Amino acid sequence: MITQLVASGLALGSIYALLALSLVLIHKATDVVNFAQGEMAMFGTFICFALLTRAGLPLPAVLLLAAPLGVALGVVTERATMRPLQSAPPVNALIATIGLWMIFHHAAGWIWGYDPVRFPSLFSPEPVEIMGARIAQNSLGIIAVSLLVVVLLYLFFEFTRMGVAMRAASMNRRAAQLMGVDVTRTSLVAWGLASAIGVVSGLLIAPLTFLDFEMMFSVLLKAFAGAILGGFNSLPGAVIGCLVIGVLENLIAAYVSTAFKDTFAFGIIILVLMFRPQGLFTRRIAKKV
Amino acid sequence: MKHARTIATLLVLLVLVALPFGLGHYGYYILATVMIYAIVALSLNVLIGMGGQISIGHAGFWALGAYGSALVVIKLGFPFLAGVLVGGLVAAIFGALVALPALRVQGHYLAIATLGFALFVQQVLFEWEGLTGGRQGLFVPRPSLFGYELQTDFSYYYVLLAVFLLLAWITGNFAGSHTGRSLMALKMSSVAAECCGIARPIHIIIAFTISAFFTGVSGALYGHLLGHLSTETFSLAVSLSFLTMAVIGGLHSRAGALLGGAYLALAPELLREFKDAQMVIYGITLILCVQFLPGGLISLVERVWTIRRPPRAAP
Repeated sequence: MITQLVASGLALGSIYALLALSLVLIHKATDVVNFAQGEMAMFGTFICFALLTRAGLPLPAVLLLAAPLGVALGVVTERATMRPLQSAPPVNALIATIGLWMIFHHAAGWIWGYDPVRFPSLFSPEPVEIMGARIAQNSLGIIAVSLLVVVLLYLFFEFTRMGVAMRAASMNRRAAQLMGVDVTRTSLVAWGLASAIGVVSGLLIAPLTFLDFEMMFSVLLKAFAGAILGGFNSLPGAVIGCLVIGVLENLIAAYVSTAFKDTFAFGIIILVLMFRPQGLFTRRIAKKV
Repeated sequence: MKHARTIATLLVLLVLVALPFGLGHYGYYILATVMIYAIVALSLNVLIGMGGQISIGHAGFWALGAYGSALVVIKLGFPFLAGVLVGGLVAAIFGALVALPALRVQGHYLAIATLGFALFVQQVLFEWEGLTGGRQGLFVPRPSLFGYELQTDFSYYYVLLAVFLLLAWITGNFAGSHTGRSLMALKMSSVAAECCGIARPIHIIIAFTISAFFTGVSGALYGHLLGHLSTETFSLAVSLSFLTMAVIGGLHSRAGALLGGAYLALAPELLREFKDAQMVIYGITLILCVQFLPGGLISLVERVWTIRRPPRAAP
C-alpha cells in the first residue's frame, strides 16, 4: 500500500516538477515569475488535443509535435508581451503575466468549450509488479518522461553554448551582457524552453484527470509550493521540492483527509516562508548594490 | 491656476452627487457597485502604487469582510456600520498574518502567498457550513443607518460615496505620512532606503494591512448590497479582475481608483455581446495598458490637462 502511494506520489510530483522547472527557468533568466505558466501548458495541451481529434493526426505524431509547439507558444508570447516591458518596473511584467493567465484560461474555455474531455491514455493500463507492489505503468511512464526532460536540461545547461550563456546571464545579467551574451535571446530561449516543458507536463496530466480548462491551476499552486520549498532559484531544488509535495499530497489524502488536498500547498508555502525562506536547497544570496 | 486642482475635485464631487438622478433601479445598483469596486481599487493603490507589492488574492479579503460583517450583524445583532468596521478589521488581521511570512524574502513570494490564501479562505468558508451556510450561502439584511433601513440602492449609493470619500481622504493622508514616504523611498531603491534606516518589513506590513482593511470594508458593503452571500462570489477570477481594474484606472491616483471601479462595473454591461470572451478582453486590455499606458486611464486625463495648461517657466 505505502509503496504504491509513494510511487504514484512520485509520478504526481514529477508532473509538478516539470511545471516548477518552467517557472524556475523563466525566473532565473528574467527575474519574472510567470503566473500564466500553467495556463500556457493547458492551452498547448488543448492544441495537441485539437490536432489529435479535429486534424486526425496519430498520437505519436502529436507527441512529437508537442515540444516544438510549446516552444512556438512561448516564443510568440515572450515577443508580444514581455519584450516591450523589459525596461519597465518588475511589477509590470508580473501584472502582464497575470493578464496572460486570463487570456489563455478563458480563451481555452471559449474555443474548446467548458466541459472536460477525455484525453487518450499514453501508457497501457496494465500495472507492473515491482518489489511486490503493483504499480501503474502510467506512474512509471510519467517518471521516465520527467527524468528524460531533466537529463536533457542538464545536458543543455552543461554542454551547449546557449546553456552556458543562460547560466551566466542568470548569475549576473549585466556582466554577461558585457561579455557579449545576448540577454534578450536568453530570455526568449528560456520562455520557449519553459513553455515546451509545460506542454509536456500538460500532456502527462491530461490523461490522469480530464482535459479541462481548469486542470492546471492546482498543478500550478503545487509547482509554486515545490519551487519555494526548493528555493525558486535552483533547478534540482525545485524538482526535489515537487517530488516531496507529490508524495506528501498522496499520503495526506490517504491517511488524513482529502478535503484540503489542494490547499495544503498553501500551508507548505507559508511554513517554508516562515522558517526557511531561502528554501531547503539554496543558500541565501546577498544582493550586491 | 493655483486652485485648478481644488476646482477639478469639486467638479468631480458634484458629478458624483448628481449622477444617480434620472436613473432607474438598475442604474442605482450599477453606481453602487462602482463605489464598492472603487474602494477595492483604492486599496490596491495603497498596496501596489505605494508599496510596490502585488496581491492576486484580494478576493480573499473581500470575502472575509463580507462574511465577517454579515455574521456579526446576523448572529450578534451589531448595527450595520459596526458590522462593516468589524468586516474591515477581520480582513486587516488576516492581511497582517499573510504579509508577515512573505516579507522575509524579496520578490514575488507575497503574490504567491496571497494566491494560496484566497483559495484557502474560499474553501474554508465553503466547508464551514455551520457558520457560513456553506453551499446554501447566507442571507444578509439590507443596510440600515440609525434605525432607518435604506430601502433603495439610491440612498445606499450616497452611503457608499461617503465611505469612498472618507477612505480616499485617508489614503491621501497616508501617502504623506511617515510610512507613505518610506514606502515611496523603498520603491525607488529598497537598498538605499534601508541604508537610511527605513525598516522595510514593518512599512510593507502596514501597507498590506491597510489595503486588506479597505478591501474588507468594501466586501462588507458589497454583502449588504447583494443581500445574499455565497463563496462563488469570491473566486480567483474576482481577484484578477480587481487587479485589472486597479491597473487600468491608474495605480497612483484616487481619481484613477474611481475610474477603475467604473471600468469594472460597466465593462460587463458594455461587453455583454462578447459573453465568453469577456475575460479574454480583460486580459488583453490589462497587457496593453501595462505596455502603453502604465499610468492607467487617469494618466490620459492628466496628459490632456498638462497640454492645456500654459507651460511653467523653468525654475
